[in-house]
Amino acid sequence: MSTVPASVGSVFPGSLAPHVTTGVVETGAQLAERMRVRAATGFGPLPVPGAIASLLPTRGLERGAVYRVSGDAHLSLLYALVSAATGAGSWLALVNLPQVGFLSMHEAGVALHRTVCVGVGDRSAWVNTVGALVDGFDIVAVSSATCSVSDARRIMARARAQSSVVVIVGDAGAFSVDYDMSAVTADWHFSTFASARDVRVAVQGRRLHAQRSCCMSLPGAPSVGVSP
Amino acid sequence: MSRTIAVVFPSWSGHHESEVHAYAEFERVVRRVSEVSPLVEVESVGTMVMSARGPTRYFGGEDAVARHLSGLCRHENITFGVGIAGSRFAALAAAHLSESRGRPCILDEAVTQGFVDALPVQSVGHIGAVSPDVVGLLRRLGLSTCGAVREVGESALIDRFGAEGRTVWTLVSGGDVRLLSPGAPPSDYAQSQEFEPPLGLATHVVAAVRDTVARMTDSFTAHGMQCVRLLVECETDHAETSTRVWGDPRGFDTVAVLQRITYQLDGWLVSNEADPDAPTSGIVRVRLVPLECREALVVQPVLWGGHEENIERAARAATMALAVHECVAVTVPQWEGGRDITKVYSHVPLSMVNLSNTDASQQRVTDGRGVAREWSGAVPRPSPACVFPEPREVHVADEHGNPVSVSGRHELTHRPASVEIEGYHYRVERVAGPWPVEERWWDTRRRRRHVRVQMLVRTKRGEARVFLLSLEHSVWRLLARYD
Repeated sequence: MSTVPASVGSVFPGSLAPHVTTGVVETGAQLAERMRVRAATGFGPLPVPGAIASLLPTRGLERGAVYRVSGDAHLSLLYALVSAATGAGSWLALVNLPQVGFLSMHEAGVALHRTVCVGVGDRSAWVNTVGALVDGFDIVAVSSATCSVSDARRIMARARAQSSVVVIVGDAGAFSVDYDMSAVTADWHFSTFASARDVRVAVQGRRLHAQRSCCMSLPGAPSVGVSP
Repeated sequence: MSRTIAVVFPSWSGHHESEVHAYAEFERVVRRVSEVSPLVEVESVGTMVMSARGPTRYFGGEDAVARHLSGLCRHENITFGVGIAGSRFAALAAAHLSESRGRPCILDEAVTQGFVDALPVQSVGHIGAVSPDVVGLLRRLGLSTCGAVREVGESALIDRFGAEGRTVWTLVSGGDVRLLSPGAPPSDYAQSQEFEPPLGLATHVVAAVRDTVARMTDSFTAHGMQCVRLLVECETDHAETSTRVWGDPRGFDTVAVLQRITYQLDGWLVSNEADPDAPTSGIVRVRLVPLECREALVVQPVLWGGHEENIERAARAATMALAVHECVAVTVPQWEGGRDITKVYSHVPLSMVNLSNTDASQQRVTDGRGVAREWSGAVPRPSPACVFPEPREVHVADEHGNPVSVSGRHELTHRPASVEIEGYHYRVERVAGPWPVEERWWDTRRRRRHVRVQMLVRTKRGEARVFLLSLEHSVWRLLARYD
């Protein structure tokens, strides 16, 4: 049963809803201001921590795009990628990723109270489940995307329509990846225990002229902009 | 101020097994009362409100109206009260008083304010639909009666509670809350739907008007408004009509409107042949006319902990995913604590939690102090990114191929030189630990003793990897990997 705030939210996704209540009749200038704010926050890319932002052309996670993380530090890269966005209010669904370390996610700054884990036992139900999740979650991280080309296209089209981000962990399968990110360990700092790691993160994709890469510390310090 | 008649049946729901049945039975009483006043407003089951002006003049005085109403409302020995006062709030409170006294309670202008002042402050919550948070805070501030709240003054109440404070002020000062936005909503909010052929069942009518109702509530929402009083008019092919005003101080959404239409038609369409009012044909037209509306979300959401619109979307999507197939499991993490890296967070089924409750969700993933607390003896930070739900067995050997074990003093018997994981061999470069864990050593059945060791290894190609292994009962297992 939908409550009134929910129905407001469905008509005005994002930060629009609270503004609606301020006046009964809205002037054109107020509407323009609201749309400007909405465009700056709601429709724009999802925030990512500074080090990764410099690698991405939109300086954030582009809504409707498909990302892939690979390399031996791929999970740390995934956590870093989603940390700022979940901290800012986006919801994260993890599909068939039972191995994620929640403690590590917490240390990376991922808002665990906006994280939902989904396990799909039957391969035939995978497409419909991911499709349903894409409708409501801003970021859907999936592993081993085993589906046909047409199913992958359906999911990608749905993600674009709902402005959700799909992150593929590991093999991309039939998905056409917009940004292929790899994280490879350069070296570990190991004194009395493993304390820090230098990772080389490289991004390539259809919308990038050349591969971009940089070195960063993963897991790094908790990302900036993480709200409690 | 307008004189208002209220009739309440406080125990009505208790006398009926289901809500639908209670509404259908109540509809009969409402129809009888409609003889007195054509526009009876039903706020909830057991509560009727109508204007006193017309009936008073017709019956010759408020006493006569109250006596007449008492005769009409007698229904299967369910106790009820009739109250007449200068405001809606006062009339409802008077009706509740009348129920306990057993005779109608009529308050004239001179005593109404004194009566309201003496009411306990909880009544603005029970009768006036003010949120429990506000009522609770007023009580804790020592304002136990409506009179004490009135003394605080309008500006101070609005200053502290916003729109809700204005509602409280209006109630305790004898006004009618709904006069807050006295402008009737524009007529283009009204919707009507015609059926051909006529529909004879309430469920069919409700299914047919669903889109129309959604269109109406959406148009309200788009203007940041919500409807609090709604007139529903149903007409049969033989021009018999059922008109009812429905009120809901929290505002109607689509489901609530459809529910009210069901109640109204259920009580009318199924009434028996003997009833002179019984319709002789199916429904051909339904009209929905919003009578009053107000700004949506008058409760300041930020004041009470914030509202995230993403939550509803995500919760709906998670529920939809769960409905795809029975093999789909949806869980959320919950903080458990402890030294065992695989059990610091557990998985809780979605059905056990309410995602919409942000405070509860935040408490669920922390230890209550907002941070994952460092446990003594825990594996140091950073924590491994990849934690295997079912740790695999591995082989650890020293440079001569001897198996490595741990002594009673938690010291490694040999220096590990190589690790074999599923056929892959890694050369061990550095070792940290061992970190021992003695769990429940006092419990002979559940006690557990194991050590954790962190190893920096190199693959054959020279790439560095860090593993977290555990040794328990002389068996090494790969607990986690620093992915």
